Amino acid sequence: MALKFLVVDDSVTMRRIVANSLKSIGYDNFVEASDGKEALTKLNSDDSINFVITDWNMPEVSGLELVRAIRSDEKRQAIPILMVTTRGLKEDILEALQAKVNNYIVKPFTPQILREKIEQILASA
Amino acid sequence: MENKLSMEQVFEKLGDLKQFFIFGQKIVPLFKKIIDFMTDIVPLLENVNNSIQDTTSKIPKAAHQINSVTSATEIATSEILDIVDSMSNDMTKIKNELSDLKNGFLNQRVALDAFAQKVPASSETLEELKSNLSIDELESKVISLEEVINKIELDATNITISLQVQDITAQQLASVNHLIHSVQEKLSSLMVDFNKQEGFVLLDTETPKVDPKVFNPNAKYDRSEAHQSVADQLIEQAKRNNNDNGNKTSQEEIDKLFRNNG
Repeated sequence: MALKFLVVDDSVTMRRIVANSLKSIGYDNFVEASDGKEALTKLNSDDSINFVITDWNMPEVSGLELVRAIRSDEKRQAIPILMVTTRGLKEDILEALQAKVNNYIVKPFTPQILREKIEQILASA
Repeated sequence: MENKLSMEQVFEKLGDLKQFFIFGQKIVPLFKKIIDFMTDIVPLLENVNNSIQDTTSKIPKAAHQINSVTSATEIATSEILDIVDSMSNDMTKIKNELSDLKNGFLNQRVALDAFAQKVPASSETLEELKSNLSIDELESKVISLEEVINKIELDATNITISLQVQDITAQQLASVNHLIHSVQEKLSSLMVDFNKQEGFVLLDTETPKVDPKVFNPNAKYDRSEAHQSVADQLIEQAKRNNNDNGNKTSQEEIDKLFRNNG
């Protein structure tokens, strides 16, 4: 199955860095959204998106709210979600886990970590 | 008899009056002290009021300057990423060219060997030709160039990782702006209280509001991977729990994770 990523981050810099990292590890099929609200719109209009990489702190709909929205949507609840965030406190990680993210990356990250987490998610899917 | 009574009342009143004057003598210095204190404190309070007004009027500028810093660093980071992208594209081209060169050397060797097989008598001349062509020497130069290219690519990746600091500092600055906004609100309300009697109108010098959802006040640039390691452990533990409990992450399990990880 061809992977199509949705990269969600309100920082233009981070969207570019995640996109560049994806390209550097061999994934070049992705779309971008600047917050959770735009991400939900893109998910609703593009059925080919099958992997979400999201930041946590964003305006409108936050990353955590996005995860909860996806998990409560029968049609999309199985989409793998990787959270990439500055929030490195144990409480934050556990809150994300409770919302049912598949994996978690604390910024700053390397393309190798990104590859490792994507592969872990795909292997357990 | 009546006169005597009246005189006694007059003396009593005079006694009261005397007590009052004695009390007055005691209290006057105190009033004087209060007046002196007020004389000292009023200009001080006015000074405080002016300082608050001055500070409050400067806060929005500071907040806007912080926003400008964030915008400037975002633009600069984007420019650096453009350069890194361009470098990466050039590196890919050079790597392809070097790979072609290596294939060329291989083809040259194969062609020379084939010729040597076809014309065995020429083998000595061919060895001389091979030596003059310096294929081995050129190939080792290509290999060392490839190593340099790989190192430049690694450096470019490290630059990209370091540029994530822009997002992290942007969140720290947003957190500062949020704090500034709260301080300005408090100062503004203080100013309104100070100037209530004078029909004071607060100047419209609002700082830009920052949505607390957009930043993590604890954001920090830390490449030690200590936090990532904690995240990995918790994810691993959650996976094990899920496997044991049919893919459910209950509050109880989350609490258990908390307990297990201190």
